Amino acid sequence: MNFIKNLTRGIIKENPTFVLVLGMCPTLAVTTSAINGMGMGLATTAVLVGSNVAISALRKVIPNSIRIPAFVVIIASFVTIIGMLMKAYVPALDAALGLFIPLIVVNCVILGRAEAFAFSNGIADSFADGLGMGLGFTLSLTVLGSVREILGAGSIFGLSLFGASYEPVILMILPPGAFLTLGLLMGLINWKKKKA
Amino acid sequence: MENKVQIDWKNVFKLGFILFAISAVAACCLALTNYVTAGTIEKMNLATNQTARQEVLSEAVDFEEIPAEDLTKIGTEIGLDNPDELVEAYIGKNGNEVVGYTVKTAPQSGYSGEVQVLIGISTDGIVQGVTILEHSETPGLGAQATLPKFKDQYKGLTASEKITVVKSTPVSGSNSIQAITGATITSRAVTLGVNISNEVYQILSK
Repeated sequence: MNFIKNLTRGIIKENPTFVLVLGMCPTLAVTTSAINGMGMGLATTAVLVGSNVAISALRKVIPNSIRIPAFVVIIASFVTIIGMLMKAYVPALDAALGLFIPLIVVNCVILGRAEAFAFSNGIADSFADGLGMGLGFTLSLTVLGSVREILGAGSIFGLSLFGASYEPVILMILPPGAFLTLGLLMGLINWKKKKA
Repeated sequence: MENKVQIDWKNVFKLGFILFAISAVAACCLALTNYVTAGTIEKMNLATNQTARQEVLSEAVDFEEIPAEDLTKIGTEIGLDNPDELVEAYIGKNGNEVVGYTVKTAPQSGYSGEVQVLIGISTDGIVQGVTILEHSETPGLGAQATLPKFKDQYKGLTASEKITVVKSTPVSGSNSIQAITGATITSRAVTLGVNISNEVYQILSK
């Protein structure tokens, strides 16, 4: 029961992007297309699950007063190891997601979940939390990327939507487009919540 | 009256030791992974480089590397600010006939640092192809430099003239390319690499 709750919480109710507003830097930078958003989301999910489990397993060993530097060391090592393994054994995946891996080190969703959840919960629950938060992150990045790609390039997942006569709103794939889309989507979600 | 702060040295050493232990374990894990994967990654890079050379200079069958010391001399001759920006150069051959050259450069002026650019130039001084090998540019913006839409713009330009970057569609015959929207810095870095290669080509082909 708790497991399911921990899993689903991150997807909508405590969505890391739209509700917790964590990890904004990579979110704004990479969501220029739907596929980029999804790629970043999935790579983050993998790291988040791994780091949540590792931190939860080590929570009794790490003293409270030095937990933040310990988290940083563990997460950075984790990301680097995943990056190296991917490069060596799954080059196809590395070609698609490799670019996102270094960006994950600076993603505060990971540090945020380590601090807020994994450090004070069991391994199974932390696993569920990581997976749920990761999927929520993937979902919101894909939505952000889709909106920006449809308006800014006239396509979705690389498929052209409106034909050659469509004049794309280039602003939407530039940084201001990220802020505009994020703000409007966040507003929409809050407005919906208020009505409900 | 002075208020002396008591430092609990025992605790300081204990915490320091734990942090040291965590870092040491992490460093060991990293070193181990690097030891296991470095060889495979290196081999893969060599294969990728060979395929990339074939891609930018399709006429060539064999590639003969230009010795590093010769390359350093060429670098000084063309007045390169940073010698690391010229990585390697190959003579492309088909049997005994020289069909062109490939040059790999690494301009440091990308948006997120180094961008590795490989370029193939045929013996008549025409750019045959450009490809981006390694980079860490922003996905969706600078990373678009790896797409054919951008890199194929260099095809057919002349290597004897400096290639310039413009923001709108270039006039035909102007030896220039159009920058990626929102990623002018990346476009300039790639073009810098191509221009360095062009100068190297001019010396090699003499």
